[in-house]
Amino acid sequence: MNGIIIAMLLALLIPIYEAYRDSHIWQKMLAFASIATKTSMMILVVSVLRDDWMIGVVGVLILSVGNAALMLLAHVIKRSDEAGLYEP
Amino acid sequence: MIDGLSYGLMIVGLIFWFWGTLPLVGDRSVLFKLHSLSVSDTLGSMSMIAGLLLKIPREWPLLVLALISLAIWNTVLGYVLAYCSYRGEGEDDE
Repeated sequence: MNGIIIAMLLALLIPIYEAYRDSHIWQKMLAFASIATKTSMMILVVSVLRDDWMIGVVGVLILSVGNAALMLLAHVIKRSDEAGLYEP
Repeated sequence: MIDGLSYGLMIVGLIFWFWGTLPLVGDRSVLFKLHSLSVSDTLGSMSMIAGLLLKIPREWPLLVLALISLAIWNTVLGYVLAYCSYRGEGEDDE
């Protein structure tokens, strides 16, 4: 099971590197969406490993609220693009 | 047997993860990356949760909640990102 968590960590490093490397806002948003899902999945695996429900509830909450926040952020970025606040 | 199946499902999930995340580092368009990413993140994570369910069936309410919220939220997030990042006709209709 530890090997699976280490492999998940490696999979998590890819979007983190992408978010660091790419300056285009939507590529960064893609990377953040992937990071959010992967981290919450890792929290769920750790909660099953430790047999602790509370950590599992945190993982599920991050899954729902994290993605919801990213959706709001996407709409804010879209509106600011339309208003021409930032140069493309 | 059950342990083997649960590890198998988790490894399938990991393969899905790597398959969908590796193109992220390339130079393809946002929509191309979004498609492979949302498919792999959603399906890969769901197969991992199925593996976890086999491991600890007692915690099934929490893991089924994670499955449902994963299926809904990840899919809708993929749609919202596609809609918001798409230039062109997407801007005209309010």
